Amino acid sequence: MSTSATQEPQLTKAQQRKMRRFDNPWLNPKLLWGAAILIGIMALGLIGRLLWDTELVFTGSGPLKLPPIGFENLRGQSGITDHPLGTDGAGRDVLSLLIVGAPNSLYVGLLASLIGMSLGIFLGFSAGFVRGRVDDVIRVLSDVMITIPPLLILVVFQSAYGDVNLTMMAVLIAAFVWQSPTRLIRAQVMSMRESGYVQMARLSGASTFHIMFKEMLPNLIPYLFGSFIANVTTSIVTAVGLEVLGLGPQRVPTLGRTIYEAINAGALIQNLWWWWGIPTLFLALMFIALLLINIGLDEVSNPRLRKL
Amino acid sequence: MSVLDLKDLSIDFPTTKGVVHAVSDFSVSIAAGRRVGFIGESGSGKTTTALSAMRMLAAPGFVSKGEIHLHSLDSTNLLGLSDEAMRKVRLRKISYIPQGAMNSLNPVVRIENQIWDGIIAHEGKVAPLELKRRSTEVLANVGLPAHVGELFPHELSGGMKQRVCIAIGVCLTPELIIADEPTSALDVITQRHVMQTLREVQDKIGAGLILIGHDMGLMAQTVDELAVMKLGKLVEFGPVKQILENPTHPYTKDLISSVPLVGGPSFLDSPPADHTNQTATSSSLDTPLFEFENVSKTYGEVTALHPMSFQLDGAVPKIISIVGQSGSGKSTLGSLMLGFNTPSSGKVKFFGKDINRFNSREKLAFHKDVQAVFQDPYACFNPFYRVDHALSFPFKRFGLSKSDAHTRTAMEEACDAVGLDPNLVLQRYPHQLSGGQRQRLIVARALMLSPKLLIADEPVSMVDASLRSTILKNIYDLKEKHDISIVYITHDLATAYHVSDYVMVLFHGQVVEAGPPKAVIGDPQHDYTRLLIDSIPWPDLNRDWGSASTAKAALERLDSMPRDQSAVLRGDIPGFQLESM
Repeated sequence: MSTSATQEPQLTKAQQRKMRRFDNPWLNPKLLWGAAILIGIMALGLIGRLLWDTELVFTGSGPLKLPPIGFENLRGQSGITDHPLGTDGAGRDVLSLLIVGAPNSLYVGLLASLIGMSLGIFLGFSAGFVRGRVDDVIRVLSDVMITIPPLLILVVFQSAYGDVNLTMMAVLIAAFVWQSPTRLIRAQVMSMRESGYVQMARLSGASTFHIMFKEMLPNLIPYLFGSFIANVTTSIVTAVGLEVLGLGPQRVPTLGRTIYEAINAGALIQNLWWWWGIPTLFLALMFIALLLINIGLDEVSNPRLRKL
Repeated sequence: MSVLDLKDLSIDFPTTKGVVHAVSDFSVSIAAGRRVGFIGESGSGKTTTALSAMRMLAAPGFVSKGEIHLHSLDSTNLLGLSDEAMRKVRLRKISYIPQGAMNSLNPVVRIENQIWDGIIAHEGKVAPLELKRRSTEVLANVGLPAHVGELFPHELSGGMKQRVCIAIGVCLTPELIIADEPTSALDVITQRHVMQTLREVQDKIGAGLILIGHDMGLMAQTVDELAVMKLGKLVEFGPVKQILENPTHPYTKDLISSVPLVGGPSFLDSPPADHTNQTATSSSLDTPLFEFENVSKTYGEVTALHPMSFQLDGAVPKIISIVGQSGSGKSTLGSLMLGFNTPSSGKVKFFGKDINRFNSREKLAFHKDVQAVFQDPYACFNPFYRVDHALSFPFKRFGLSKSDAHTRTAMEEACDAVGLDPNLVLQRYPHQLSGGQRQRLIVARALMLSPKLLIADEPVSMVDASLRSTILKNIYDLKEKHDISIVYITHDLATAYHVSDYVMVLFHGQVVEAGPPKAVIGDPQHDYTRLLIDSIPWPDLNRDWGSASTAKAALERLDSMPRDQSAVLRGDIPGFQLESM
């Protein structure tokens, strides 16, 4: 409600540009920026592999504790072009750690979220559509699972199991991210099954499969996207949390594992800020990108958020 | 003396596709104690105009031209006030009674606290006893007992909630009340009571009233002066008597003629034949098309539908109307017929077979033969697809389509048959079409499938008044030209009177009166039918609606009516057999 709508608003160029967002909500700047950053990180991983030597992630491939170019470490050494972002305490190249590690962290997040979402879509549709006993079981199960802190269970599991690989870790995390999409989809399906167009489809002799996947699912797409991105964020946070505790994969470099090693080697007191700082910055960028995409998708699914 | 003057008012909404002129050059003045109606179809700018007087236009709308004067202010121009000064005007000088009372009250706050909120916002600290006295008084003014103040909104009926909204609107004795379709969600009996209450309380405080609506009958019974709006322009303004008896603008004439009257001229080209004098002949088919065998439906303690039996022959198509107010069980009956709901007892039979025991192949065949038109034309289309999907999908699914080109021609023919231009409506998304267009498309869909039975559940109640008769004509043509039997579920007795061959009046899930429409609606015998007919607002000043006390007495009579009395049967028609319980 506008209370000062008495004088004619002079529409500036910027306002007009903002208005155009009503035409195509998918083109909103938050979504575009978020996607651009995320694609940038992925591009670094893919193109970097071609241009940079990934063998440099192994211990002793370079001098120890070299700073990035233009900085000096405590020993007075300055950065060299062979290792533009410096090296860590074991002589590993930080740039190649990023090139190999960042996609690994994203991979865990995406895979865990994908598995979680698929489970969520399946269970949510079953609960919302079939109702009755099935609904009771799924609802109680997801409600109980939501109250269990995933990190606690994962810490216990990982320390008992020993070394895991990335896929294994993604599967483990997926077991804790299916609840919220399940609840979301269940609620949407339950309100949608009473809607006029679903009743019309039933009158048209549509099969249950058709109603679920052709009539309901397309209208859930913005919600599914939003939920998917939120899940990717949760999964990466969980994965990095485990890695920083030293419970991640032992043989594969990831951003979280790099931070774990930096902390372990006392990088903080030795002022080796590039060792832990650059991976942290990367993670922060990744989360900001995911957040922007999430807000952008929110605007797509909820037109009321599209403000002038 | 006039309270509010709107002078040459224009309201614009800037959008990406250019500026929309929602209202242009609108001038009206509202005198103290006078009731002015704004009538027009949706999108005609009536609500926007009224909201501009509250300075509550939805963004990005703004007043581009003109003045709004409230004469009791020192500086009368409302548009020049500061936000704080404007806040003081709202409710104290001009109050607004919203459309959906259900959503306008805060569900977690007691009624009296919601009344106090307004008083405290304008008068500061008021002693609790004084607050209590005033809320009781204002509730009494709208005919509600004092204990209602201590209740929560969910404990009240729709009519009571709407009256609470009126109470809040008048608690500071404003000079002008704006009522935005205050009864659109209520049934006729409650509507009469709420409107009478509003009229009386407005008379008492001597305020001006702007009533926004689209029902000519309601306007005739309520207002003194009428402003007819079309596409943001005032097309006609004058005393309601003059407009009703001597309309000058063709649009006004359309609006008046679009309200069908019981006993009045029919809006159909060939009204249904009078069956009253014919004797019921035995059905020409061995198994009836549709049959209810002692069907009842209960939800826990509540009985939505008492045991009922009828047989619909279907050899000669018929329109059977089921009328009643909300909660009478008429929609339950519809969903039982469609198989969306299973009966608590008894059997629903289609060609002699129980529809709830169909296997999937039989179910498909059943749906091909029994189709529906629902109340809400906005919800019936999946927003993800173009409207063609709703028409072509069942056509293909039921195996009627020979090829894509065949589907396309069938769709175009069906659109033509209901008076839509296929080039304008097909290939569009639902939100690009108006409610009337969408509802006609649903009728076109039914036509394409040529079912044996069509269940039309309040097909026109959410469509603009000016389009109702056209859509009913389309539905009527399904019977006349395409041999489809129709069950027409409605609360509108006037349309039921015109289109149907047989009418059943439902009250608390029971048939109280049934028979040919000329008998049941033209000359009602049962108290409930009579009450329903008395509550219809007639667009005729000589037929008075009565006062709030008669409306209240009628409601009380309704409550005290015995629940299990036998139906008054008023004669049979061939092809339909209702068995009295």
